[in-house]
Amino acid sequence: MENSGAQLAQEIQWIKRAQQGEPEAFGPLVQKYQQRVFSLVYHLVRRRDEVEDLAQEIFIKAFRAIRSYNFQSSFVTWLSRIATNHCYDYLRHERASRVSFYWQMGEESQQELEANAQSQPEDALDHEEQLALKDLVEKLLERAPENDRKILLLKELQDYSVEEIAEILNLKPTTVKVRLHRARKRMLEDLRQWREENKRS
Amino acid sequence: MNCDYLRERLDNLWEGAESAEVTRHLAECPSCAREYRDLRVVGAGFRLMKREAEPEPSIGFAERLVRQLGELSKAPSVAEFFERAGRRFVYATVVLTFLALLAIVLPATGPVRGLSIADIQLSGPEAQMANADPFGESSLQDAPDLAPEEVPAPAATHEVK
Ligand SMILES: [Zn+2]
Repeated sequence: MENSGAQLAQEIQWIKRAQQGEPEAFGPLVQKYQQRVFSLVYHLVRRRDEVEDLAQEIFIKAFRAIRSYNFQSSFVTWLSRIATNHCYDYLRHERASRVSFYWQMGEESQQELEANAQSQPEDALDHEEQLALKDLVEKLLERAPENDRKILLLKELQDYSVEEIAEILNLKPTTVKVRLHRARKRMLEDLRQWREENKRS
Repeated sequence: MNCDYLRERLDNLWEGAESAEVTRHLAECPSCAREYRDLRVVGAGFRLMKREAEPEPSIGFAERLVRQLGELSKAPSVAEFFERAGRRFVYATVVLTFLALLAIVLPATGPVRGLSIADIQLSGPEAQMANADPFGESSLQDAPDLAPEEVPAPAATHEVK
């Protein structure tokens, strides 16, 4: 989300007025970033019906905290940090584990699906197969430690750069790189382990 | 069985870099080939998730939010009120409790003199009463000045949720 010089100057005006407690000045900021927040929230919580309420809470939190924004990072990064923390507070209370679609497929269909996923682009897969793959990754993310999950979601689903993730999570970029690598490795290990568990049972 | 070839190139492969060398290794090494397959499966799942249509704000989302913020910033919020009232209540309780203790202890010890904690806790028949109730809670609650009606309802410290 690039800002031209004029846009940025305008944005700074809005922020400063909002910092004086003017909700009207916050409106354009909401307009500008609402889709970004909706997208982030959706990928973090994966529940369509909850997104709007969560986004509303996030913007209210942001308005109340806006005096703490000091123009060091970009506004969207600051907002993303609030959104990420808010979603995790929500998930900590709401997470319910659901049955996995993927593991109900039977071993043969799973292997077929995996072979297909490797040999063709994913949009060529049929609808069921696409659902199963998404479901598999969703479940793997649910099983992953919270720090891994955050980093993977921001990187793989939101396309944030390593530097942006570092700002959102308050980490050094090198730390993000190391953690991202570890998270990916762990996810593959977990998939293997999960497969073994399913074979046995 | 345990080969580190793929794991060492994990991030590049994850992000889609492939090369003839990698392909050659995968053809020879079943353990890496297996792992690579998982990597592709997970990668495809992520890309599909990313491509899903994202929910959009309903029409008027920003306007409603601004109106709501306006209402919230008018008139101190209920939560703040209880917070302040609650704090005052705690101060009052502390002061009253202290006065009540003094009232019990002072007449027994005669003229005003410096009181130490030990005097209050360990001397006189009151000490035995206090010992029966190791935390002294029941006696605090029975302090006559504190009518139970004054206790505020469990502070509604709700944030916007
Ligand atoms: Zn190998």
